[in-house]
Amino acid sequence: MLFNATPFRIVKKEKQTEDTYLFRLEKPKKEKIKLCYEPGEFFLVSVPGIGEAPFSVCACSKDFIEFNIRGLGDVTNHLIKLKPGDYLWLRGPYGTSYPMKELKGNSLVIIGGGTGVAPLRGVLKYVEERRADYDRVHAFFGFRDPNEILFKKDMKLWNRIFDLNLTVDKAPKSYKGRVGLVTKVVEESGLNNKNKIAMVCGPPIMIKFTIQTLEKMGFHHDQIFVSFERRMKCGVGMCGHCMISGKYVCKDGPVFRYNKVKGIRE
Amino acid sequence: MGKVLEKKRLNEFLSKVSKGGDLIAPVKRDTLRFEIVKDFNDICLEGRPLFPVKKFFSPAKEDLFNLNLTNKNKPFDEEKIKLKPRVIFGGRLCDFNGLLKLDKLFLSEEYQDDYYKLARENTLLLGINCDPAPSEYCFCESMDLEKYYDLFFHDMGDKYYIEAGSEKGKTLIIDLEDYDFTIPSIKCEKKLYTKDISKYYDDSAWDKENDKCLSCGKCTAHCTTCLCFDMIDELEADVKHGKRFKEWDSCQFLNFTEVAGGAIFRKDRINRFKHRIYHKLQYFREKFDMDMCTGCGRCIESCPRLIDFTEVINNFKD
Repeated sequence: MLFNATPFRIVKKEKQTEDTYLFRLEKPKKEKIKLCYEPGEFFLVSVPGIGEAPFSVCACSKDFIEFNIRGLGDVTNHLIKLKPGDYLWLRGPYGTSYPMKELKGNSLVIIGGGTGVAPLRGVLKYVEERRADYDRVHAFFGFRDPNEILFKKDMKLWNRIFDLNLTVDKAPKSYKGRVGLVTKVVEESGLNNKNKIAMVCGPPIMIKFTIQTLEKMGFHHDQIFVSFERRMKCGVGMCGHCMISGKYVCKDGPVFRYNKVKGIRE
Repeated sequence: MGKVLEKKRLNEFLSKVSKGGDLIAPVKRDTLRFEIVKDFNDICLEGRPLFPVKKFFSPAKEDLFNLNLTNKNKPFDEEKIKLKPRVIFGGRLCDFNGLLKLDKLFLSEEYQDDYYKLARENTLLLGINCDPAPSEYCFCESMDLEKYYDLFFHDMGDKYYIEAGSEKGKTLIIDLEDYDFTIPSIKCEKKLYTKDISKYYDDSAWDKENDKCLSCGKCTAHCTTCLCFDMIDELEADVKHGKRFKEWDSCQFLNFTEVAGGAIFRKDRINRFKHRIYHKLQYFREKFDMDMCTGCGRCIESCPRLIDFTEVINNFKD
């Protein structure tokens, strides 16, 4: 049946912030489930008796998959209480992905805000393993404050192998890192659009201003990918909740080339 | 060339074609509605049920799983769908065209809804022509409906002229007497003039009708092609057992686009109103090369404020 879920065992749980955890799930050996090989896709994760919620793939191999889960609603507040050894019920993968194979040879400009960094981590993890396939990688990540910074372990590595730019919106005076909006940091980087592909994920307001910034820097709309968050109940383009301007975020997205969704109305 | 059936033999005919299954037809109770017929004499073809036939293809509430939280390894137990073969008699062309549109969503190449698929495969569609149009709100004449049915009846006074629209339909009437007749097309007083609405999103004609809207969702509940749904888990008082079910939802409700954390993407009522109409007349057409509206006018007739989107569209300023 369309909505059947498969149990995945939690093998690792890593605290990211006060309310956010990174879960690694082991792929069940017998199941013929296709784990994604290109980042951007999502799964619907189920808590029996509470409901389902969509999560982007945050890293994935043929044996495991990782999700970044923030306790924000009924389902997620339950999920973050689970421990290694417990099971998550998954269906998917659904939706479009970043066309990583097609983008080989390009420089990547990866811009994320808050939990929107999670799907982009999927991209960076993918590139880590295939570093030679891509030219320069510029990552710009913005978080609300230093306590909200995700994936600190990864950031250390990324700082070495990529051009990593980390910023927070506000911070106590003692904070040594960069403070300011991520759009500002992108703008000040002085990058041009040559041979580059930008990927943007974050809150709607951040996406809006980031696109304006990228436009100013000379990026064409087909050089930009955006990823939307919407309410997704079915994941298969039927229930109608995630539709924007006739596009199902669950099926036609969540990753869109920006020229396809420019000017869409809610 | 079609066939002819005397009216006094209708019940006998319906009983034959629905043998071993359910007959669904308009029945007059407090209101006229499609239901499973128990007594053939209850069937009423005067007027058109305000509620379309979609509920027989995707019920307002459909159980998907039985939940058992005590069974950690198998908390979901799939609900088995049981459906008798059915015959719908007395559906209108708008009802059946609605199914053609819903097929695009529920029977797509990649994903098929089990209940809908089974219901479609096991239902014979016996329609009746609208002569005259059964409601002052009908405007199907503007909507290019297809002749989609297994059989189509036309009232000729003391008899029905019947035309087959499928091979299955042909076999049902093979024994009836041949008759030569052309079914007149449906005539509607109401018209929808402009169909390309893409340029009029910001037209002020939207405001007047929108100001009346109560966001009650009756328009989508009565629409022949609206089948948006929510998926809900509900536990019994023991907090161990329960159901996961699908339930009709409406894009007119404020929380339809709400995500965890409380953000709502279509917060303004007017955006929800426009979303409904643009989905029907523009977005669906862009994808499937057909409108998602059948011109049945049920959204207008059922609206407590009689909000009429055709008035909006017919009054766009050029």
